[in-house]
Amino acid sequence: MIKTTQWVAICLVLCLSVGTAFSQGEPVAPSNVTAVDTPNDDGSSITIKWDAAAEDTGISGYQILRRIADGELEPIGDLLPAGTTAYVDSAIEGGTAYTYVVRAVSETDATVDSEQTPAVEGTGEWFHTGKTAIFIVMLLFSAAIVWNIYDARSGKDIFVRRIPGLEAVDEAIGRATEMGRSILYVLGLGGVSGAATIAGMTILGQVARRTADYETALRVPCNDPIVLNVVREMVKTAYLDEGRPDAYNEDNIFFLTESQFAYAAGVDGMIIREKPAAIFLQGTFYAESLILAETGNSVGAIQIAGTTSESQLPFFIAACDYTLIGEELFAATAYLSKDPMFLGSIRGQDWGKLLIFAALILGVLLELSGINWITTLLQRVS
Amino acid sequence: MKRQVPLILCFLFGVVMILTEFSPHAASQSVYNEIVNWTLIVWPFATVLAVATLVQTHWARIQRRSEHWQYSYVVFAGIIVMAAIGVPFGMKHPAFEWLFNNVQVPMGATMFSLLAFFIASAAFRAFRARNTEATLLLVTALIVMMGNVPVGDLVWNEVMAWSPWSDKVSEARQWILDNPNLSARRGIILGISLGGISQSIRIILGIERSYLSGGDA
Amino acid sequence: MFEKLLNMNRQIVFILVVLAVIIPMLLNIRLPLAVSEPTQKLYDYIDELPSESTIMIAFDYGPSSFAEPEPMAEAVMKHCFDKGIKVVGLTLDPEAVTLADNVMQKIAEEKGAINGIDYVLLGYREGPIQVILGMGVEIASVFESDYTGTPLSDIPMMADITNYDQIDLLLDLAAGTSIDAWITFANTKYGLKIGAGVTGVIVSEMYPYLQTGQLVGLLSGFLGAAEYEKLIDTPGKGIAGINTVSFVHLLVVGLVVLGNIAFFIQQRKEQG
Repeated sequence: MIKTTQWVAICLVLCLSVGTAFSQGEPVAPSNVTAVDTPNDDGSSITIKWDAAAEDTGISGYQILRRIADGELEPIGDLLPAGTTAYVDSAIEGGTAYTYVVRAVSETDATVDSEQTPAVEGTGEWFHTGKTAIFIVMLLFSAAIVWNIYDARSGKDIFVRRIPGLEAVDEAIGRATEMGRSILYVLGLGGVSGAATIAGMTILGQVARRTADYETALRVPCNDPIVLNVVREMVKTAYLDEGRPDAYNEDNIFFLTESQFAYAAGVDGMIIREKPAAIFLQGTFYAESLILAETGNSVGAIQIAGTTSESQLPFFIAACDYTLIGEELFAATAYLSKDPMFLGSIRGQDWGKLLIFAALILGVLLELSGINWITTLLQRVS
Repeated sequence: MKRQVPLILCFLFGVVMILTEFSPHAASQSVYNEIVNWTLIVWPFATVLAVATLVQTHWARIQRRSEHWQYSYVVFAGIIVMAAIGVPFGMKHPAFEWLFNNVQVPMGATMFSLLAFFIASAAFRAFRARNTEATLLLVTALIVMMGNVPVGDLVWNEVMAWSPWSDKVSEARQWILDNPNLSARRGIILGISLGGISQSIRIILGIERSYLSGGDA
Repeated sequence: MFEKLLNMNRQIVFILVVLAVIIPMLLNIRLPLAVSEPTQKLYDYIDELPSESTIMIAFDYGPSSFAEPEPMAEAVMKHCFDKGIKVVGLTLDPEAVTLADNVMQKIAEEKGAINGIDYVLLGYREGPIQVILGMGVEIASVFESDYTGTPLSDIPMMADITNYDQIDLLLDLAAGTSIDAWITFANTKYGLKIGAGVTGVIVSEMYPYLQTGQLVGLLSGFLGAAEYEKLIDTPGKGIAGINTVSFVHLLVVGLVVLGNIAFFIQQRKEQG
């Protein structure tokens, strides 16, 4: 009897030690291994996923192996650390089918392979499903603007609130004319594709029409060579349209430099030497904004600024007489030209704002009641 | 016709660029990359044009003996010297590096440092508690400025020693930046973005044509 | 008297600023410094990276604004070299190449780091968005060689670095809006982790990104540089700079307070 008990004890100890040795030496094969064409990509990758192994299986890492058609299984990439459950194979070729095996490697370099996945090919998607929400919002917003633009053509009266900065444009030009001094128009540092620069150029077009009428000198130092050429053409057309081609002077619109502070130095120099009666600062500005605006203030010029660079707005507000804040800059064309189509687009913009307000209020209310699908939906959009 | 072709091109490229944003397919991405590369080609031509206008402007100034015409020679000297060293020998050439470190860097830094002077003078002139809003702005600005620098902490703690907020200026500054600053900024960004989209739609539809050298606004 | 104060000549303000800049430099004061959360976050992220990791530093500032980002670059590089983290430098600003080269060489010499093994400067290429997007696919497709002209294939530390997959963090040291491009094109499209160090004048623009987690951390102006120097326990230009900045801040606060007192008294007089 004692012998039997001893044997059982010995067998148990042996089994346990062998079991422990086995679990430390040979890991468990990764389970539920899947390989799928990565969604929403250009077809250049396949995503391999597997279930996380339990902590005590002694796995030190994973090696992904790949087979093309009937070829050999070949390791790809580096050894992935333990705990990894997915790998994206971006080194694939279109039209080729791949099968994958995930190999678990133990601390003692023992390995065990998963089952082979079915063959999969990488294909590109024509529509990014993750962007569905943003696509719908874009369509809704564009439709609101387009509908309002065409609705406005019917001659309906559209109200736009008073924008003091734009009301002051005529005052500024008039003052320069009375004083017999020039007008300085600074478009900032943005390129021709910048929305703020385009808006600034649009206001410049309107200003140029008035300066052509009043025969006031309009000086435009440019920071970007492409902007320079567009501005020259714009101002020239404005003078032609007003029947004053003789008053147009190409030398007044010139390139200074692309360097930010050298540009600021150049414009400051002009302000101090020429003492313009009115200065327009309309476009994209960075740290040079206050340097320009304070110098303008020091010569007593009437200054109208407008920018979409939010961090520069406080500087302009402190140093200029009028400041167009953000979207007011985009509303300038409609405001100055009173064109119904432009006014319609502004109403469309307000509809977009209402849509955002509604989403914000709904989102907050739902979050407060513990429902978070709207937040999750918006977070998924990237 | 002179007007129609650019407008049609603008519409086509505008719509294509929007669609490529939503299509990850290789074909659509290659169209996107191709168009982006085309935009790069414009640069060298524009740069040549820019240098030409710069030279033209300053040459005319010298010929006309306009006010301060002598400085135009400095512009030419700068262009010629930097190009004569930089183009054949590259930017690693000691002479180029010397000019960069001893001329460009100090001049640029001088201009940037003007900000400190102008911020001081603008703040002194503009920060006045004229009404409730201006007072709020003033108090907020003072808290942020004090919380921004270590000496501000020290002074605040001394001045406010009597109050429960004596060591709270850094926290208050961070709260202001994280909350009122952030929400106001988001509001402005939303407005700007909507305005930008609205302007883009007007351009794509050919309603806004200012970029085509004026004409119909 | 109050009227005089209210209409004080701006030249007097300028002289006061000069004094507020120069005096602290001469006095060599050491101010107590607390570390703000955004700086701590960036430091922690870098500190937790294992050695042999790689961070990319984009030197997106020009010679005019280098005073604030350069101390940040120095402090972060010192931290990286001490921890055995490799540094890949580049810039989207043509004027910054020489500045980046100077600062990388200086810190490398100080820390005994070797070019090509511990750090490399890729240099500058035209077209910021194309550069950012292109490196997401393959760095060598944008920078076929480093700043000195050595092909990337001949640079030992670049042997295992193909694209952003092997970059653990991009630190953008900026004086403009390059952060927007890095976040839009490198973070959103390729999932690259991004940290930022910016000049004081644009720091408030960074808070939306910080709140959404698109920035792992943020260094703001001299204060950020000084805080980072404190964390690595190596005082440098940041701590020296923050003294000057502190006194100019105090001057501005003093002027604003004084201006308002004069304004109130003046108004009372006018009403009375």
